[in-house]
Amino acid sequence: MTTLLPEHQVRDAHRHSKSSQTKRYGFFPGCVAKESCKELFNSTMLLADRLGIELIELTAASCCGASVVNDTNRDIARVLNARTYAQAEALGLDDVITICSTCTGHMRAANKELLESEERMTHANAILGKFGAKYEGNVMVRHLLWLLIDDIGLDTLRSMVVRPLNGLKVAPFYGCHIIRPESVNGWESARNPHSLEDLIEAIGGEAIDYAGKTRCCGFHIQLEKGNTAASMVGQNMRIAKDKGAEAVLTPCPLCHLALDGYQQDAAARWGRTDLPVFHLPQLVAFALGIPAQKLGLNKHLIDPRVVLTDRELIA
Amino acid sequence: MAKITLDIFRFDQAVDDIPHRDKVALEIPETITVLDALEFAKAEVDGSISFRRSCRSAICGSCSMNINGVTGLACKTPCNTVLRSDGTIAIDPMPNFQPMKDLVVHMDPFWDKYTRLKPYLQPPDRDEDNPTERRVSPDDMKKLVEVANCVMCATCYALCPVVSVDPAFAGPAAIAYAYRFVEDVRDGQTKERLGQINDDYLWLCAHCYACSYCPKHVEPHDRIVDVKRRTVQESVHMNERGPRHALVVNKTIKQTGMLGETEVIQGTVGRFNIRGLLKVAPLGLRMASKGKLPPIFLRPIPKVDEVRTIFESLEVPTLK
Ligand code: SF4
Ligand code: SF4
Ligand code: FES
Repeated sequence: MTTLLPEHQVRDAHRHSKSSQTKRYGFFPGCVAKESCKELFNSTMLLADRLGIELIELTAASCCGASVVNDTNRDIARVLNARTYAQAEALGLDDVITICSTCTGHMRAANKELLESEERMTHANAILGKFGAKYEGNVMVRHLLWLLIDDIGLDTLRSMVVRPLNGLKVAPFYGCHIIRPESVNGWESARNPHSLEDLIEAIGGEAIDYAGKTRCCGFHIQLEKGNTAASMVGQNMRIAKDKGAEAVLTPCPLCHLALDGYQQDAAARWGRTDLPVFHLPQLVAFALGIPAQKLGLNKHLIDPRVVLTDRELIA
Repeated sequence: MAKITLDIFRFDQAVDDIPHRDKVALEIPETITVLDALEFAKAEVDGSISFRRSCRSAICGSCSMNINGVTGLACKTPCNTVLRSDGTIAIDPMPNFQPMKDLVVHMDPFWDKYTRLKPYLQPPDRDEDNPTERRVSPDDMKKLVEVANCVMCATCYALCPVVSVDPAFAGPAAIAYAYRFVEDVRDGQTKERLGQINDDYLWLCAHCYACSYCPKHVEPHDRIVDVKRRTVQESVHMNERGPRHALVVNKTIKQTGMLGETEVIQGTVGRFNIRGLLKVAPLGLRMASKGKLPPIFLRPIPKVDEVRTIFESLEVPTLK
């Protein structure tokens, strides 16, 4: 019978074991980084390389359920994620690193459900057993953002910066599922998180404090009612722009699709904002000296190279 | 005793064009609630400060307001938990509502959304075996206990980002209340109620969890998911975008292991809904011009059979 550890104990166990070992992590890129935001995937790999950590992609992992699978069935997303965790364990990897706020929240929620109930764990394993897999309950899901701060550390990052952002005014945009609900995430305060701000400052930017940073980008209702979703983008970008932001930084590719794609559609109601939106690893990798051409900045709808040129960060 | 300054939003729709703020300096114990501090200010300093309250113990749902940027019940918020370093507490009316007088807002849009639900039990025909009572088992009742705790304080509604840009959306509390009747075994209007809440944009919830700050732990975000599932189970509104979206996402994951963005867009909007597709087309073209379109055909992940086994073991409704 599996013994289930509460997550904080798992986390402590990780902390202690991590320091002495080489840094190898299970890596769950998520669907969007493999489809319409490939630049996110590529810049993550480049950044990992620069940081000297090994991200081992779980290539046979499925979608996390993206918060939508739950809309029809309580159990499927949980078991899909259990399958992913079993794959990580089979590779000897207990850490699963994500690069999407929605993946983070939903994979952590599934893991919490499994770790908190023998019944659910047994149920999931009964299904995994049909193809010879088993989840032992050792995995911890973390976002790359948390890895950067907990495992690499802001001081180390600061020391690795070769191209400081020259005071570029960056508005952090967290994405709901990396902070809420607090019972699932809880890595930092959901009402007043500051990890992105800390990171922005560490790489030489100026973090903009604005009310929109913990709000919703509307991604999940884009197809339901496009105007409403666009308006959610416009509202948040308006506040950021009025506070002086020159760019936005997000750890979530869904937020990226929304913010980068819909500002134009929101202009009628909220005025033009045209804020370029960076993926988290793009901007960090840039500050750490990875050439801008390698980061896929040309794939964005609002070209971020303009502000970088204005700030004399690229020629 | 501590020196605490309340920085209060002041506005009277009868006389003011624009709001202003008043600072009221008090000497009060810092452990009292924000509501008690307001009561103190009203009694001792300025009798014209207006706010709603009744129970003073988080039961009546009257006193929700925005306290230092965080919306919640004033009677459940001790001053020392929100006090800023300069000793002030900024108090504003709930967002997403029209202010009436100071912290009192027009609640009508919130109540309208309840009223549309016909928020009372509508039992089917008389139960001949039990002519005098309608029985509910403890298990059936369990499902309703959480939502029955809703005190209609509208905190969740004030926090909802969808409501803030689109007042047509029912909002979290009304959907949680729809759940309360849909899941009540004594009620006979399940399909009608599901139809109504679908008409009021059930599927416009953006999954943001802002309503997880409900002070009574109703967890509206979870109840919303429950109502969506029930909608699909009862096959209500299956031709609308919400249920189609949920089903096509399931379908692509089952087939490929991945969420296929291209197919999800077509399946949600409708492959033959030319107008709908044209509406998403401008963004599609902008993305295409940057080489950013998702692939049209996704290669299935390795061992995708396992994913299919999971789906088949758990019986989802499938897309035809
Ligand atoms: S669901 Fe919670 S926050 Fe919303 S009205 Fe009811 S008690 Fe208030
Ligand atoms: S989860 Fe849905 S209902 Fe709740 S606040 Fe967010 S958008 Fe509104
Ligand atoms: S006064 Fe009744 S809930 Fe606060």
